[in-house]
Amino acid sequence: MSKILDARGLSCPAPVLMVKKALDDASETTLNDEYLNEITIIVDNEASMENVSRFLTSRGFNVEVLSEGSDFKIVGKADATVQSASSEQTTSHRNSPATVPENSPSSIADAKQQKIVIFIATDRMGFGDDELGKKLMTSFIKTIKEMGDELWRLVFVNNGVKLTIEGSSVLEDLIEYERGGLKIMVCGTCLTHFNLLDAKRVGETTNMLDIVTAMQLADKVIKI
Amino acid sequence: MCGLPFPVDENVLIGIGTSDDAGVYKISEELALIQTVDFFTPIVDDPFDFGRIAAANALSDVYAMGGLPKTAMNLVAFPLQKLGGEILREVLSGGIEKLKESGTVLLGGHSIEDDEFKYGLSVTGFVHPQKILANQGLQPGDCLILTKPLGTGIINTAIKGGLASQSTIEMAVKVMATLNKYAAEVMTHFPVTACTDITGFGLLGHIAEMISGTDTGITIYSRLVPVLPETIEFASMGLVPSGAHRNRNFRKDMVNLKSNITPVMRDILFDPQTSGGLLIGCPEKQSQNLIKRLIDNGVEQAATIGQVYGEKADQDIRGIITVE
Repeated sequence: MSKILDARGLSCPAPVLMVKKALDDASETTLNDEYLNEITIIVDNEASMENVSRFLTSRGFNVEVLSEGSDFKIVGKADATVQSASSEQTTSHRNSPATVPENSPSSIADAKQQKIVIFIATDRMGFGDDELGKKLMTSFIKTIKEMGDELWRLVFVNNGVKLTIEGSSVLEDLIEYERGGLKIMVCGTCLTHFNLLDAKRVGETTNMLDIVTAMQLADKVIKI
Repeated sequence: MCGLPFPVDENVLIGIGTSDDAGVYKISEELALIQTVDFFTPIVDDPFDFGRIAAANALSDVYAMGGLPKTAMNLVAFPLQKLGGEILREVLSGGIEKLKESGTVLLGGHSIEDDEFKYGLSVTGFVHPQKILANQGLQPGDCLILTKPLGTGIINTAIKGGLASQSTIEMAVKVMATLNKYAAEVMTHFPVTACTDITGFGLLGHIAEMISGTDTGITIYSRLVPVLPETIEFASMGLVPSGAHRNRNFRKDMVNLKSNITPVMRDILFDPQTSGGLLIGCPEKQSQNLIKRLIDNGVEQAATIGQVYGEKADQDIRGIITVE
């Protein structure tokens, strides 16, 4: 499904919120052919053009901007990963009885495989001896690949973000997991707090909304 | 305002000609009057908080000139039918709380009915004519110290969009409602060369005012600039107020962004602030001590964020803010 929004005459942050609402509404839908895979927004000022482009990029769209007279036409095209993200969201809505398409093949496929989020809020495992705790954490990270495809997201918050920075003993492993398609989410507020934004070497910097959404969509959340 | 026939008076020490924070009028050799006024539409939902922020913002200009606020008048435009008197009472109470904290008395005010709510104050303060701190006056080698974190414009945009978390709103309100009094108290004991407060033009816009028309060059180290939580996330989502874009376009010829500065960081550095911190210029020798004293006096996020080039700086970096 594609959609065109006219945000001319609106100033910030109204155009961004308009696009956000359109994306949120689209992800509520249960019908496959209504996935929003292309969205066009027309704005009449440069500030809105930059903000809307940035918002679409942050939501995983490929963005192209066309200049039309004094207006800007922003075309966002969903790439493959966004499509899968929106189908994940739709899956969660299928749990509500009123909207379950009983014989949808994708829901049967989804049911076979669970989605596991591992939420890591520390750089060492357990309490007691810190040296031991760090060794255990290294071993844990190296071993989680045994979960296979069911491991869906790794979320790093608080001291956990220190596992994603330069010099981390598991950096190589995490980079390899990410290359293999595992999504690694690293708390931006935490990186900022520790002044480590520049030191992060793996995963994408994320916010609490995305973390909460990941928890909601997961079948199982494991907290370390 | 260019070209208007303003009245002239030899006692005007700082008038409308420079981009200073407030006007200053000399009464005697020992005493000068600082006058300023500021008002705006609500930026947070809580009326008491809005009152506190508006008052802290109006008082700030006096502190930025090196003065002490003494008296104030309320300015109110209010839709009484729509919002009711209780809300206005809350707003004014918030304002009074901050006036008391600053040692300023309220002498009165003026209110009108208006469809759109606006509140602010005119504030009058005193300063010794020899101790006025103007925007301009930075010397080679000076350090630049910022006393509050950036990001209130971006967070206010996220609040408008209903996207800011309660904890972020509280943090931003706390920063905006904090008086610059505590920074000013410390600053007056140091050989400060220039001072301004960070408001609508954003950090880089106000730094540009400090060096506009001079051959002073400055480096700002973005990694040292304190930023409120979630500001980076909101800016990455495009929740940047249009004022930030206007500020950037207005000063683009004076700002040289190194390649490590992301568009998100650039927008934060140009983010228009409400009741922002003071930006203080001081000789490098005293800067460490100034920071220490600021932190001791409760200005916990004070940080050195940049430095003026030395006298032997190359010609091509003069009059330019380099951001790295």
